[in-house]
Amino acid sequence: MRGLRRAVVAVAIGGVIAGLVRLRGTDATPPQQGGWRELEGQDLT
Amino acid sequence: MTSPAGRGRVAVVGAGIVGARTVRELLGPGADGAPTNDGVVLVSRREDRLRELAPVYGSHVATVRADGLPALPDDVGVVVVAREQGAQLAVAEAAVRAGRQVVSVGDDPEDVEALLSLAGAARDAGVALVAGVAMAPGLSCVLARHAATQLDSVDEIHVARDGVAGPACARQRLRALRGGAVDWRDGAYVRRPGFSGRELCWFPDPVGARDCYRASLADPYLLVPAFPGVSRVTARLAASRRDRALAPLPVLLPPPAEGGPGALRVEVRGDLAGARETIVHGVFDRPGIVASALAAVVATDVVAGLAPGASGLAAVTDTVPLLAELARRGVRVARFHGGS
Repeated sequence: MRGLRRAVVAVAIGGVIAGLVRLRGTDATPPQQGGWRELEGQDLT
Repeated sequence: MTSPAGRGRVAVVGAGIVGARTVRELLGPGADGAPTNDGVVLVSRREDRLRELAPVYGSHVATVRADGLPALPDDVGVVVVAREQGAQLAVAEAAVRAGRQVVSVGDDPEDVEALLSLAGAARDAGVALVAGVAMAPGLSCVLARHAATQLDSVDEIHVARDGVAGPACARQRLRALRGGAVDWRDGAYVRRPGFSGRELCWFPDPVGARDCYRASLADPYLLVPAFPGVSRVTARLAASRRDRALAPLPVLLPPPAEGGPGALRVEVRGDLAGARETIVHGVFDRPGIVASALAAVVATDVVAGLAPGASGLAAVTDTVPLLAELARRGVRVARFHGGS
């Protein structure tokens, strides 16, 4: 019985950790220079 | 099957978001103000959908209800296949065997592979079949080719997409994220699990940064044959943390009637004058609008100029007129300039 309880707790803790890892996003610094410029004029002739 | 323009009418098979918008694009005039085709035939399985759309288009569009393979009028020269995943091949094959040019807007990798296998039949019939004419694949292939024309050689192509067109596209996106992805690496396709390989990709504003993951996408199958010698080709889909957490669970809510704004980013790396160069192009727009504008332009301006056979849009050698026509229709491509 004790072993079963330990297994359930281990699975629950593992699930929480997996969930946190899965939900974790990415933090990153945006490009510090430059930007998007539409193709127009000479780009399209 | 000929007309004064030599092209005949255009049939659009499928009346979903992309099919209906493609018809609207086909009805608009070309850059010179003249009609781009001799008329449009819209085919759908759904009687109610045809009844809904017929008054919108008026007498310019003939409607045909057909469950399976449609019996098209003899003067149809180009068939745009806009049916859902799994229903593209039969229509495309029948059109090729009838001697008609084919433009397929499907983005499912199995569909794209099957369509490319019709290359021999298309060559025998003397027609071109263009597979994967959507935002990605589709415009992604055009942008990869456009970047390649500015480089001496290309060795890496990386595509990322955000957003969906209609309900069928939303279902396909979920299948893609849950499925097995394929990367091209050093001369071989490498299978990877979906939702792996997270990468933060910067799309044109206002989308900005999105986490993107490997997914079952068709871009590598269309890009690799078009760029001999390329060493890496990858394709990713943007997804949220919620998408990732809920991916294993069944979807209880139906997809929206039309997806919101999306974006595309195509990064091409190669050599220019002996130095490494990276060119990044992007688009911000609704995927349904991009796909329909591209399908209409390819059907009226591009497909007739392609060599007989089956290919993607990376086979287009002169990308500038195509991008200019898309810009005229409101689909504006941007290039990232500056630092990293």
